[in-house]
Parts: sequence; C-alpha cells; structure tokens
Amino acid sequence: MIQGNLAAFTAYMFQHMPDWRREGAQGAPPKEPPPQAAARAGTWFLSLSPEIRGFAILGPRGLLASSDETDEWLEPARALLAAADDAAGGFASHAHVATEEGEAYAVRHAGLAIVAVTERFTLASLVLADMRAALRDLVAGAFQAQPEAA
Amino acid sequence: MQKPHRFVIDRVAGYADEAAAYVRRRRLTRKPFARVYAEGGAGRSLAPEGEHGRALFLAAASLIDAAR
Repeated sequence: MIQGNLAAFTAYMFQHMPDWRREGAQGAPPKEPPPQAAARAGTWFLSLSPEIRGFAILGPRGLLASSDETDEWLEPARALLAAADDAAGGFASHAHVATEEGEAYAVRHAGLAIVAVTERFTLASLVLADMRAALRDLVAGAFQAQPEAA
Repeated sequence: MQKPHRFVIDRVAGYADEAAAYVRRRRLTRKPFARVYAEGGAGRSLAPEGEHGRALFLAAASLIDAAR
C-alpha cells in the first residue's frame, strides 16, 4: 500500500516539475550549443566505449559535430531520423537499427539529435543512455569551454 | 535404478537439446532488427520487409557506411 501511494505521489510530483531542457517547455527556449562544445560532447561519448565507431550531433540548423569532422554524416543522419519519424508515426525520440554490418542509433533531446554507429551486439540500453547523457550535458552547458584561471 | 544405456541416452539427448537451444538463440540475436520509440515511450519493432522498415534499414546502412 505504501509503495502504491509512493508511486502515485512520485508521478504527481514529476508531472508538476517543468523540464526546461525539453523543447517547447516553459521558460527560455534551448539555444543551439556551439560546435566546439558539441565536438567535446561527441569526443566524451566516443571515449566511453571502444565499440563506438563514430557519431554525429545535429542541431536545428544542421551538423554540429561528427567523429571524422566532415559533412558526410549529415545526409545519412537526417535520413535515419526522418525514417524513424515515419516509422514511429510522428516524432521519434530514439531508434535502434541492427544490421549485419553494425548497429545504428539515434537519440533526440531538446531540439538536438545524436546518431551513432557501433559494432554488432552492443548493449543497446547502455549506448542509448550514454547518447542521451551526452545530449543532456551538452544542453546543460557541461561541455562549454572553461575560462582559464589567471 | 536406471539402466546404464538409458542414462547415456538421456545425457546425450540433454546435451543435444542444449546445443539446439544455443543455436536457436544465436540465430535470433543475429537477426537484423529495427526499433523506434515515439516521444511517449511507445516502442515499435519493424521488419526489414515492410515499407518503414526498409527505409530505416537503408538509412542505417548509409550511416554505417559513413562511419567507415
């Protein structure tokens, strides 16, 4: 009974907590992070596992960063996000496609998107959580350049 | 008491069952798949043969090519 009440109450509390990181939430709209910060977020994500082959981070205006620092990722990343939206019948929050050549992931958060390619048989929940963490920290400004101490 | 030859047959059948289950699991996990999740958290699995699934697999393949 206590657990049931706690679950109901917790859901109620979270319903009334605005998530400022979400697109369209009340308050200031999220700004597009600078490409340097996106590159740092991507490098951090890439360093989490040797099984990650590459990534690209997209903002509303296009590619912010990619693992090989080229635009080659832009069109395939957009195509994957568009295909995921079509398949979800609306706005897809994340997608996972496993092929024999590797696995492709896409995650959206606060107007940004990250796509990644990994080796086969990676732990999907872990990869998705890492991708989401990279975007959350990027939006929160964790990858902004720190001013050097005098 | 179980006859010796019956015991051996049971053991061999047990191992064969284990091996068959392993092959079955391996075949299942090696099968390509696609899953998309809508914003509310609802997930959907797509077969490569379907219209949406085919588009997803094609897009994923070109993304995987870009990572090479």
